[in-house]
Amino acid sequence: MAPGARSSLWAWFCRGLILALLGLPLITNPYVQFVVNSMLIYTVATLGFNIVLGNLGQLAFANIAFFGIGAYASAILAQTFGVPWLFTVPLAAILGAAAGFLASAVALRGIRLYYLAIITLAFGEFMRWLYLHLPAVTGGTDGMPMPRETLFGLQLAQDDVKFYCFLVITIVLFKLTLNLMQSRVGRAIAAVRENEIVTASLGIPTARIIVLSFMWSGLLTGSAGAMFAQHTGHVFPEAFGMHQLIIGFAMVLVGGLGSIIGAALGAVTLTALPEYLRAFPGMEELFFGLTVVVVLLLLPGGLASLSPLFIERHHRPLE
Amino acid sequence: MQLTLSGIAQGALYALVALSLTVIYRSTTIVNFGHGDFVMGGAFLVYVLVVIAGLAFLPAALLAVIGAFGLGLIFARHLIRPIQHGPHIGLALMCVSTGFMLRGMARVVWGREVFPMPRAFDIEPIFIGNLIITGDALFTIAIVLVLLIVFFAVFSLSGLGKMAQAVYQSVRGARLIGLDVDRFKNYSWGVGAALAALGGILIAPVSLLHPDLGLGFLIKGFAAMTLGGFGSLGGAVLGGLILGLAEQYVGAYIDTALIDITAYLVILVVLLVRPHGLFGRRAVVKV
Repeated sequence: MAPGARSSLWAWFCRGLILALLGLPLITNPYVQFVVNSMLIYTVATLGFNIVLGNLGQLAFANIAFFGIGAYASAILAQTFGVPWLFTVPLAAILGAAAGFLASAVALRGIRLYYLAIITLAFGEFMRWLYLHLPAVTGGTDGMPMPRETLFGLQLAQDDVKFYCFLVITIVLFKLTLNLMQSRVGRAIAAVRENEIVTASLGIPTARIIVLSFMWSGLLTGSAGAMFAQHTGHVFPEAFGMHQLIIGFAMVLVGGLGSIIGAALGAVTLTALPEYLRAFPGMEELFFGLTVVVVLLLLPGGLASLSPLFIERHHRPLE
Repeated sequence: MQLTLSGIAQGALYALVALSLTVIYRSTTIVNFGHGDFVMGGAFLVYVLVVIAGLAFLPAALLAVIGAFGLGLIFARHLIRPIQHGPHIGLALMCVSTGFMLRGMARVVWGREVFPMPRAFDIEPIFIGNLIITGDALFTIAIVLVLLIVFFAVFSLSGLGKMAQAVYQSVRGARLIGLDVDRFKNYSWGVGAALAALGGILIAPVSLLHPDLGLGFLIKGFAAMTLGGFGSLGGAVLGGLILGLAEQYVGAYIDTALIDITAYLVILVVLLVRPHGLFGRRAVVKV
C-alpha cells in the first residue's frame, strides 16, 4: 500500500471509530458503560506511562504518584472547595505536570536506571503514606467522596454523561500526544532514548527534552487521575499502590513499548479481559503477572507490532 | 538500650534482604524488583510445610530454602536469560511481574486473611537487668552473623569470590578466561532467592503473614542497599542495621507514624545527596 493511501485509510478509520463511539451509549447497559469508561481512563493513563517508560526509555515508576495526585487534587478541589469537576481536570493535569517536573529534576541529577526506579517507587509509596496520614486534607483511610453535581442540567453521576466527558478529554489528549510524538520533539525524545550523549552532541537540548517528557507524562496521568476520581466517585489511598502500577506496566507492554496506538490497544484489551476475574482473589494478580511475562518473552513489540497499520511514523520498537 | 537491641534485631532482617538483593545485583547487574515477593514466598512455603504438611519447623525451613534455590534457578534460566540482552526495562518488568504472580498464587490459596506464623523457637526470653531479649531476635541476629562470616569467607578467600569479582568487573572478560558466566548467574539467582526465603522465614514469626508482606521489605531492602552503596555486601548489611536502628529511634523519640516512611526518606535523601551511598563506588557512564 502506498504511504498516502495508508494514512488516508487510517484517517477514515479514526473518524469512523469516533462516530461509532458517539453512538455507543445507546446500545450499552450500565455495567458495560462503566467498563467502557474505565477503558478511556486507562487509555490516557497508559499514554502517560508509556511516554516515560517507552518513548523516553527511563525506568521511572512515578506515574502511580501522578495518578494519585491527579485523583486527590480533583476530589479535594471538588469536595472541599466546591470547584465543578470539569474545571478540576485541567488543574489536576497541571499538578500532575508539576509532579512530573520534580521527577525529571531527579533524573537530571544523574539518578538513572535502577536508582531512578527505586527513588520513584519510594516517592509513590511516600505519597500513599501522605494520603493515609493527612486525614484533615485527604480523608485518611476513608478516602474522599466526590460531590454529586450536574452538568448542563444532566446528572454527572450517570455513566453515559461521564462517558461523553471522558471521550472528549481522551480524544483531545490522544491527538495532542500523537502530534507531539510525530513532531521534532517526539523524534528528539526517541533520540534521547537511543543514546543520550550522542543526541546531546547533535545540539539537541537533552535536559529540556527529558523535563518535557516527564511533564507531559505527568499531565496525561494527572488528567487520568481526575477522570478516575469522577469515575469511581470515591478516592481511596489503596487505589494508588503497587496493584495499579502493575496494571499500568501490563497495559504499556501488551500495547507495545513506545507506541501511542499501542497504549490505547493495551488499555482496552486489559480492561475488558480481567473483569471476569474480579470475583476470585489473587486471580487478577496472576493474570497481569503472567501477561507481562508472556509478552516479554514472546511478543516484545506488543500488540502494536502485529499490524503494519499501527506502526507509526518514526516509531521503532525498543531494542 | 532496649531500643538499640530491637533496632539491631529488625536491622538484621533488613540486612538479610539487602544482602540477598546485593548477591543478585553483583553478579547479574539486575535489581530484583520482585524480591519482596520472594521473601513472602519463603514464609508461605514454611507455613504450608509446618501447618498443613505437619513438619517440624527446622526441616520445613530447610526444605523451603532449598525449594527457593531451585525456583531461583528456574527463574534465571527460563525467564531472565532469554531477555538478558534486551533493555533494562524488560528485565525490571520481568522481576516485578514474577513477584506479582507469586503474590497472586499466595492470595489464591489464602484469600484475604492474615495468619500468625507458628513460633519458631520456644526459647524463654532472656532478662539482663531490665533488658529483654526474645529468642526470635537472638536467633535472627545469630543467623545473619553466621551468614555474613560465610559470605565474606567465600568472597575473599575462595576461588568463587575471585570468579564473582571477575564477572562483576567485566562479563566479557570473564567469558574470555573461560568462566561459565551463565551458570554463575543462574546460581547467583538461586542463592539470592534462597537468602530471600530465609529472610521471609525469619520475618514471618515477628510479623503477621499475608500476601502483601513483601513490598515493605523490598523497599527496606532497597533503602539498606542504597545507604550502604549498591553492590557492596558489607555496605548492605551495615545499611540494614542503620535503617533498623533509625526506625526504632524515630518511632520512640519523634512519632510512631514515621516508622513506615523512614525507609522512603532514607532512599530520597541518600540518592539526592550521595547517590553512591556510604561504601559504593561512583558509577562511570560509558558511551
